[in-house]
Amino acid sequence: MKSSILLRFFKARRTDYLIGFSFMFAASFIQTLFPKVLGHAVDLMKVSGFDTRQVQLQVLWMVLIAAGVFTCTFLWRNIIIKSARNLECYLREELVRHYLKLSPSFYNSRKTGDLIAYAINDISAVRMTFGPATAMSFNGIVICCSSIYFMFATVDPRLTLATLAPLPFIIVIMLFSSRKVQTRFRIVQQQFGAVSGKVQENISGIRVIKAYVQERSEMERFSGLSSRMKQANLDLIRVSAALPAMIEFGFAVCFVINLVYGSRLVMRGVISVGDFVAFNGYLSLIISPIVSIGKIVTTIQRGIASLGRLYEVLRVEPDIKDTPQAVEVQPEGEVRLRNLTFCYDGSDTPALRNLSLSLPKGHSLGIIGRTGSGKSTLASLLFRFYNVEPGQISLDGRDINDYRVETLRGGMGYVPQDSFVFAATVKDNIAFFKDGYSEAEVRQAAESALIADSISEFPDGYDTLLGERGVNLSGGQKQRLAIARALISDPAILILDDALSAVDSVTEGQILANLRQVRAGKTNILISHRISSIKEADEIIVLDKGVIAERGTHEQLLTKGGLYFDIYTEQHEDGH
Amino acid sequence: MISTRNSMKTAISPRPKKSGSGAVKLLLRLSAPYTFQLILACVCVVIVNAAFLVQPLLLQRVIDHFLIGGAAEHGLDSILGLALLYLLVTAAGSGFAYLQALIVGKVGQSLIHDLRVRVFGIIERLPLSFLDRTSSGRLITRATNDTAEVSDLYTDVIISLVKDVLLLIGIIYAMLMLSPQLTLVSFTVIPVIVFLVWFIKNKIKKNFFHMKHYIGQINGFIAESVAGMRVIQIFRAEKEKEEQFLKLNGDYFRTTLIQVRLNSILKPASDMFQSLAIAILVWFSIGQISGGMLQIGVLYAFTTYIRQFFAPISDLADKYTSIQSALVSTERIDELIREEERLEQPESGIAVERLDGTIEFRHVWFAYKDTDWVLKDVSFVIRKGQTAAFIGETGAGKTTIISLINGFYQVQKGEILIDGVNVNDIRLDDLRRNISVVLQDVFLFSGTIRENITLGDEITEGTVQEALRASCAIEFVQDYPAGINEPVTERGATLSAGQRQLISFARAIAHDPAIFVLDEATANIDTRTEKLIQQAIDNVARGRTTLIIAHRLSTIAGADLIIAMKNGRVAESGPPRRLLEREGYYARLLRESRAHVAGS
Repeated sequence: MKSSILLRFFKARRTDYLIGFSFMFAASFIQTLFPKVLGHAVDLMKVSGFDTRQVQLQVLWMVLIAAGVFTCTFLWRNIIIKSARNLECYLREELVRHYLKLSPSFYNSRKTGDLIAYAINDISAVRMTFGPATAMSFNGIVICCSSIYFMFATVDPRLTLATLAPLPFIIVIMLFSSRKVQTRFRIVQQQFGAVSGKVQENISGIRVIKAYVQERSEMERFSGLSSRMKQANLDLIRVSAALPAMIEFGFAVCFVINLVYGSRLVMRGVISVGDFVAFNGYLSLIISPIVSIGKIVTTIQRGIASLGRLYEVLRVEPDIKDTPQAVEVQPEGEVRLRNLTFCYDGSDTPALRNLSLSLPKGHSLGIIGRTGSGKSTLASLLFRFYNVEPGQISLDGRDINDYRVETLRGGMGYVPQDSFVFAATVKDNIAFFKDGYSEAEVRQAAESALIADSISEFPDGYDTLLGERGVNLSGGQKQRLAIARALISDPAILILDDALSAVDSVTEGQILANLRQVRAGKTNILISHRISSIKEADEIIVLDKGVIAERGTHEQLLTKGGLYFDIYTEQHEDGH
Repeated sequence: MISTRNSMKTAISPRPKKSGSGAVKLLLRLSAPYTFQLILACVCVVIVNAAFLVQPLLLQRVIDHFLIGGAAEHGLDSILGLALLYLLVTAAGSGFAYLQALIVGKVGQSLIHDLRVRVFGIIERLPLSFLDRTSSGRLITRATNDTAEVSDLYTDVIISLVKDVLLLIGIIYAMLMLSPQLTLVSFTVIPVIVFLVWFIKNKIKKNFFHMKHYIGQINGFIAESVAGMRVIQIFRAEKEKEEQFLKLNGDYFRTTLIQVRLNSILKPASDMFQSLAIAILVWFSIGQISGGMLQIGVLYAFTTYIRQFFAPISDLADKYTSIQSALVSTERIDELIREEERLEQPESGIAVERLDGTIEFRHVWFAYKDTDWVLKDVSFVIRKGQTAAFIGETGAGKTTIISLINGFYQVQKGEILIDGVNVNDIRLDDLRRNISVVLQDVFLFSGTIRENITLGDEITEGTVQEALRASCAIEFVQDYPAGINEPVTERGATLSAGQRQLISFARAIAHDPAIFVLDEATANIDTRTEKLIQQAIDNVARGRTTLIIAHRLSTIAGADLIIAMKNGRVAESGPPRRLLEREGYYARLLRESRAHVAGS
C-alpha cells in the first residue's frame, strides 16, 4: 500500500495524463510557430508593392495559431491541473483514513500541528509538484527546444549561439541566488514563528503578566524579537530584489548581442528583417520558462521532501489489528487478568507488573492509587489500545487478542480522564454521530449522568452547538457529558477513569448512586484517586508503582491499615 | 460542523465593502514619517518605467532606420550606438528597480515593526474586560498577520500600483506618439482583455475564499479528530468521522475544480487576445505599409507594447483584491488602536510602596456584561494578616472577587478599599506588585523554572531558594538534572498539574506580596502533592493577608474567616467555629462531605 499509493493513482489516470501531455505538447509547439509567421509577414511587407493576399494569409495563420494554442492549453490545464487537485484530495483521504486507524502509541509521539501540516501543507506541496511544476517544466522544455530549434534551423546557427551565450550564466546566477533567497526566507519564517509565539504566550498568560506587572519587560522583549524579524526581512529583500533585476539585465545582454550581430547579418543579407524580428520573438518566448526554472526547482524539492514525510506517516502500521482467528463476539462482562505485565515502548520499567485478578460479570471493581501507579494504563489495556501478550487478559474466558477490535470495543464503555468535547451538538456529542439512538435514549443517558439539567438550560437544548463556536462547558459538565456518552450504548463493561474528578462531591455522590441503579448486573470498573468514588465497589485494588499493593473491600482495606488506610486518612483528615 | 453549500454562503461573510476612513487615516498617519522615502521610491518607479518604454522604440529605430531604410551609420548614430544605449537603459532600469525595492522594503519593514510593537503594547495594556470578549486567536492575528498585510500594502501594493498605472499611461502615450491609428486599432482588443482579466480574476478571488474556508474546516476537522482520536476509537466513530471528512474533502474538491476551470481560461485567453491583437494590427497595417504611411518597425514596437500591456492589467486586478483585504486588516488594527484611550493606566494613581493588606468590600455590585450581576451587594472586611477562605458553588462569584481586588475590572456600584483607599485610586502597578495570585490553571512561560519564578525581575538567589523551599517545589525541582535551570515548556506539558502549582507558589513567594491570593486547584492532584500544596499554603499565608478560593475543606479549617458565597451574595461569613454553630451553609457542606468521605 505504501509507495504504490502514487503509482496506483497515476496508473488509474494513465490515459488522462497521456491526453493531457499530448495537448500540452501541441500547445507549446504551436506557440513557437507564431514568431516565424510574424517574421514572414514582415518580410513580405518590407518590399514596396507587396502582395496583400500573401500577408492576409499570414494573418489568418496567426489567428489559427492563437485559437489553436488557446484550445490546447485550455484542455491540458483542465486535465493535468485537475488531476493534481484530484491527487491532493485522494492523498488527503488516504491520510485521514490512516489517521483514524492509528493507535494511541502513534499519537503519543506526534504533535497535532504536525499531523495537520501533513494533511494540508505537505499534500499541497505534492500537488504543486505533480501539477503546476510538472506542467511548467514540460511546457518550458518544449517551448525552449522548439524555439531554439527554429532559431537554429530557420534563422542562423551562429547568431543563435552568440545570442544564447549569456544564458548559462543567467541560469547559474539565478539558481544560486534563489537558493540564497530560500535560506533567508526560512530565517524570516522562524522569526515570524518567534514573534507570533511571543504574542500567543502573552495572551494566554496575560493574567500572570498583569498580576506580576511584567508588561514593560515583555514589551521590551517583544520589541527585540520584532526588530530581529525586521532585519531578517531586510536581508531577504536585499537578495530577492536583486534577482529579477539581474535576470532582466542578463536578457538585455542577449537582446543587445542579437541587435548588433543580427542586424549586421541582415545588412550582409545573410538573414532577412523578418528573420531578425522572428528571432527577437523567439528570444522573448524563452524568457519566461527560463526565469521560472528556479521556482520549479524549489517547488519540486519541496514536493519531494513532503512526499517523503507523507510516506513516512503512511508507512506506520496501526499497532492494533485483528488477528486472522479473531471472532466477532461482544464481551459479556467477565474480566480476568493473569500475570499481566506491560511496558510502554521505549521504557525499561514496566508500567504494570504481574497483575492478576478475576472480575465476574456484574461485579464492580475499584482501582485506586497515586498518579503514575498504572491505573490508566490498565484501562487502556482492557480497551486494547496497546497490545498485550496472549493469555494475560481474557474476557468471558476468551483471550482479548482473539476478539475483533470493533466488537471488543463495542461491548465496552470508557470514560477517559480528559473528557473530550467535539464541536458539534450536545446530541451528537452523546450519541456520537451515530443515528441509531433515539431522542429518549439520549435524554436517558444525560439524566443518568446528571447533565440533563445543564442541557435544558442551554439555548437550544440538545441541539446546542458545543465547543469553540458554541457553548463552552465547565470541566465538570464535560466529564458528565462524557459519562452520558458511555452510558448510552449500555455496555457490558464500563470503565470510568477518574471521570468524576472535576465534579463536586455532592454531585459525585448522586452520579455514583445513579450508576449503581442503571448499571446493576453489568460490570463496572471505577478508577480514581479519591476514596469516595470507589469505596462502594465489590472489590478494590490499590495500585502502587504498577503492582497490586492491596486488595479487598473498603472495610477490609480500612482495617488492614495499609496504603489504602493512609490514603483514606489523608483525604479524611479534611473533615476534622 | 460541516457546512452545506448554503450555510457556507452565510458562513463566509461578504468582505466589508466600506473601506473605512479610519483605515485610510491610519495609513496616512503611519506613512507620514516616511514621506521622503516614498517620494524617492516613486521617482525610481518613473525612471524604471521610462527605461521599459524606451526599449521597443530603440528596436523600432534599428529596424526602420538602418535595416529597412538602409541609412548610413555615423558614430553613435549607429546600430552599435543604439545597442549600447539599449544596454545602458536596461542597466539603469534594473538598477533603479533594485533601488526602489530596497527603499520600499526598508520603509515597509520599519513601518511594520513600529506598528507591531505598538499593537503588542496595546494588547499588554488592554483591560481584561476587553480580552474576555476577544478570542486570543484574533489578537494574535492583529499583531502578526494583520500588521504584515498592512506592510504588504506599502511594499507590494501601493508602489506597484503607482508603477502599473504609470506604465499603462506610458504605453498608451508611446503608442499615440508612434501612430494614433494603430493605437485605436489596438484598442479594439485591449478592452476585451481588460474586461476578461478583471471578470475572471474577480471570480477566481471569490472562489479562493471558498477554498480557504474549506481548507480551514479541514484543518479544524483534523485538529479535532487528532485531539479526540482516543474518544473516536473508544466509541468506534471512525466510520462516521470518515464520512464527515469525505464530505468536507469533496466539497473542497468541487471548489478547486472551479478554480482550475477559471485559471484554464484566464491565461490562455489573454494570450490568445494578445496574438489576435497582433494579427489585427498586421491586417490593418497592410494597406498603410503598402501606402508608405507606416513603417514596419513601428508595427513591431506595437506588438511589444501590446504584450507589455497585459502584465500591469493582470497585476492591477490582483492588487485590487489585496488592497481590499489589506484595508480590512488596517481597519481591524485601527479598531484596536482606538482602544488606546481605554487602556489600563499603570502609572496614574496614588503610589504605594507596600500595602498593609486590609481588604474591604462595601456594597459591591459587579457584572461582566450589562446587568447580569455576578456580585450583588457584597460586603466584607479581611484584616491585615488574616486568612480568608471563600466557599460556594461554581459560579457563585468567588473568582470574580479575586479579579476585582487585582484591579482587573471596575465595579459598577459600591467600592473596594485596600488599606482604606479605593482600589481605583491606587497606582495599578503598585497594587498588583503587592498582590500575588496563584490561579487554578497555572500558566508557565517557556523558559527555565528559575525564569518562571523570577519572571525576569531582580530577585536574589537567596530569595529564590527560600521561595523554592517554602513552596515545597524544591521536592521535585532538585530531582532535575539542571535543577532550577530545567527548561519548561509553555503550558508546562512536562510537569504535572500539582508541580505547576508549586512553581507558581514559588513565584508568588519570591515576589513577597502583601496579599496572597489562591484559586485552589481541584482535579487531578494526587494526595501527596496535595499535602505539599497544603504545606506551601501554610508557609505563604504566614504574616500575609491570604485569600483562598477553597475547594478542599482542609484549607478551610485553617482559615480565620470564611466567606460563603451563594448566587453572587455573601450567604454567611465569620470564623469557622461561629459558622459551625450557626448550622448554616458551611455546617451543611462540612457534614455532607464528611459523610461522603467516611461513608458512614
